[in-house]
Amino acid sequence: MDFKLTEEQELIRSNMREFAAKHVDPIAVEIDENARHPAEVFQQLAEGNWLGIPIPQEYGGAGADRLTHVIAVEELSRSCASTGFTLSAHVDLACTPILLFGNEQQKKEFLTPLAEGKSLGAFALTEPGAGTDVMAAATTATPDGNDYVINGTKTFTSNGPIAGTYVVFAWTDKEAGRKGMSAFIVPRNSPGLRVGEHFQKMGLRASQTSEMIFKDCRIPKENLLGQAGQGIPIAMTTFDHGRMGIAAQSIGILQAALDESVKYSKERVQFGTPIARHQAIAWMIADMATDLAAARFLTYYAAWLKDQKQPFSKEASMAKLFASEAAMKHTTKAVQIHGGYGYIKGAKVERLMRDAKITEIYEGTSEAQRMVISGNVLR
Amino acid sequence: MAGVWVFAQRCEQSLELLSIGRQLATRMGTKLVAFLQQDMARAKDLIAQGADEVLVLAPLAEDQSPDAFIPVISAEIQKEDPDLCLFAATLQGRELAARIAARLNTGLCSNCIALDIDKSDGTLRMERLIYGGAALQTVTCLTRPAMATIPPGIYKPAPADSERNGAVRVLPAPPPSAVQVIERKPKPQQAGSITEARVVIGVGRGFEKAQDLNLARELADVLGGEIGCTRPLSAELHWLSEELCIGLSGLQIKPELYMGLGVSGQIQHTTGIRNAKWICAVNSDENAPIFGVADFGIVGDLYDVIPKLLAELKK
Amino acid sequence: MPEIIACFKWVIDEAYIRRGSAGELDLSSVNYKISEYDRNAIEEAVRLREAHGGSVILVTVAAPEASKGVKDALSRGGDRAFFIADNAFHELEPSQTAAILAEVIRSRIPHDLIICGEGSGDLYAQQVGPRLAEILGIPSIAFVRKLAIEKGRVIAQRKVEEGMEVVAAPLPALVTVLPDINIPRIPGVKDTLTASKKPVVTIKKDELSGTFEALLKNLDVRATQMERHCEKYGTEPTEIARFLELLRSKGVIAA
Repeated sequence: MDFKLTEEQELIRSNMREFAAKHVDPIAVEIDENARHPAEVFQQLAEGNWLGIPIPQEYGGAGADRLTHVIAVEELSRSCASTGFTLSAHVDLACTPILLFGNEQQKKEFLTPLAEGKSLGAFALTEPGAGTDVMAAATTATPDGNDYVINGTKTFTSNGPIAGTYVVFAWTDKEAGRKGMSAFIVPRNSPGLRVGEHFQKMGLRASQTSEMIFKDCRIPKENLLGQAGQGIPIAMTTFDHGRMGIAAQSIGILQAALDESVKYSKERVQFGTPIARHQAIAWMIADMATDLAAARFLTYYAAWLKDQKQPFSKEASMAKLFASEAAMKHTTKAVQIHGGYGYIKGAKVERLMRDAKITEIYEGTSEAQRMVISGNVLR
Repeated sequence: MAGVWVFAQRCEQSLELLSIGRQLATRMGTKLVAFLQQDMARAKDLIAQGADEVLVLAPLAEDQSPDAFIPVISAEIQKEDPDLCLFAATLQGRELAARIAARLNTGLCSNCIALDIDKSDGTLRMERLIYGGAALQTVTCLTRPAMATIPPGIYKPAPADSERNGAVRVLPAPPPSAVQVIERKPKPQQAGSITEARVVIGVGRGFEKAQDLNLARELADVLGGEIGCTRPLSAELHWLSEELCIGLSGLQIKPELYMGLGVSGQIQHTTGIRNAKWICAVNSDENAPIFGVADFGIVGDLYDVIPKLLAELKK
Repeated sequence: MPEIIACFKWVIDEAYIRRGSAGELDLSSVNYKISEYDRNAIEEAVRLREAHGGSVILVTVAAPEASKGVKDALSRGGDRAFFIADNAFHELEPSQTAAILAEVIRSRIPHDLIICGEGSGDLYAQQVGPRLAEILGIPSIAFVRKLAIEKGRVIAQRKVEEGMEVVAAPLPALVTVLPDINIPRIPGVKDTLTASKKPVVTIKKDELSGTFEALLKNLDVRATQMERHCEKYGTEPTEIARFLELLRSKGVIAA
């Protein structure tokens, strides 16, 4: 078993670290406070091919492997989880399904500009009445001449307000149950599509989240992604990839929490000694470092399996479950280590803890992950 | 043959080198020779402050670069075979020394901050900082002449003795340099060099804006001192000019008192103040690295502390 | 269409240097990187190629482990590289590096301009550039802030003690550059992935004819100590008064 990263992966990691330190660290507090999407950063990310790492070069991507993309998301999230997540949602939830299920025409027309970073992508599945229970969705897509007409409301759409292209899920044949939902590629300027309520969140505030309202939204028939009725399998496969992105994001948050906690505990003196010398604090840091290592290796393993073209769904789910719960647990500990200072705006751990919570919820709650894993193990 | 030779572009720098040069020449039982550029009248100063012989370099034309001297200096060294050649580590001094060392195929210790002859075996030990100031390397030269460049300010000029005698020899004019000077843009002269100041107030990133430096200037005036800064304040923020920058790639200072205000104490800066007699600091972070290298400090906000210091001092 | 050589060094990243418990230098967990000053040299070479055409040839002398550095340098815009690598090259002094570079450059790499960093991030002796120029018998201009090539000569703005000078020298020439000359670009993902496809010529010590003897001898390397015992004072008026009284007692401020 070779645990070494390739030289390219190591160089790409340090280049993203440098990029994040230079372009993201200085604005991380401001974009969190103002819930602002840093468009200027994404412009620069596009120039460096960061927005399509695992997409083949013929479709505008960098043509690298999934593990390289995971590393990039991790390093970017270490500086700002919102920025890391915006990138990961774009690649994993929008680029990936088009890559895996799109025809040649769709890949040229839609995937290429996304992978080149000319615009960002979004994924619209969740609805007010349908979260973990995907089948409770109500959005429909009705054929009409050369078009489909979509009606319904999607909610909690990440990148909703800023995306140029959406992958949208809607019923084409409600009677067919799990085989009745289809996936569509919907450009932003489609008639009948508008951004609905823009949500103010507890954390991940620089990531833009909104409702998407489809009112007689008309798209060409050619925009059907994959086969009619293939929607649910497309969504599930997409989540397999997205989970590695969330795990990577969680690792980035965890690494930042560890870095802050180590630094603070060496400097903060109470009872005549740096608190790092007090066993209670030292043990918290030991647990943090251990879970970080476990999360990292589990996530890299899932990505490695995918790159080896082996089944990776269970491992991706495990990585997401473990890394997200570890991120929440240890960012809470990190605030604890910082004491009162950790609770004040401007302290990095204050933001890390608020950012961590959502990783246990989106792209399949921890409960959903446990369903996937147990379903796999108990077969 | 033998001898200790010194070279600097400005007379003031030569006088500093002559002080260490004199010590070493005496220990080695040999003579001390200084090159002189530009102003022949200063030859007597060099002799008064230690030189046994002064070698006068021909004045350069307006468009000539000091690299014109490389063949002349090298030829003299090859002819007279000194033991040791010291160059002032000015920007051009460093380049000249390296080219001359290559021409002579001899070793060169750059930015040498301490020179000494080992009492037990007579080895010439030369010290310099490496790894951004984190480590101190000691080397000796295996070839002749040993060469070193010494940053200005490391040594104080030798005391003058007008009774001293010495020889003066004029060197032949060099052929034209390959490098041509097209334009010179002198920078405005700063009054009073901080390397000579008795008290230096260092300012760092603890100050929020350029105008606030006036607080430091007021304190400097009251204490009779000069202002210096950390690299970010000159190179990045451009609040102060680069020649006020103290540290690894800036000035080495040896004041009686250094007071760092809002200076965190990164090693790149503190290598410049290590030889100050007394070091004190004001910083709001009780665990700032500056307190690890200071003799006394005040833990507090400089915006609060400086006015209090001024009020107390004016009493 | 100029042929531009950019020299670079693979150095210890000083951020990873630690102190041992007895205050000694701990290099056990260090990473390596291209010396920061050399990034500026490579960037400047690439900019000149973008303006004038020609090519950028990267050259380094290192231990064989520095192959990652060669990839890193190529990812920054170099066209090809010469990797002079040997286990004997672990801790060279500047005179040796310059001599090795000179032999390879003279015998194998036609060039118009050589660009070096003003010094290396580890030793910062600032000797390799000027020594290399002297051995090759070409003019050198050090501490350059701005660089241009025209009609067979290089025009540079260089920093001197008194301010700045604009100088010119005929090509071939060597310059050493200051960090303010440019801001090195961060390589994109494709830049890194295509780096390994660019040509690299590897040269071992026994392919060279020089002996490259050391001219200096290293007697000691130790961590710098700057231990002073710091007495800390508070900010109340009584504390401020005590602090100033202490300074007066040391004779540093007037009574």
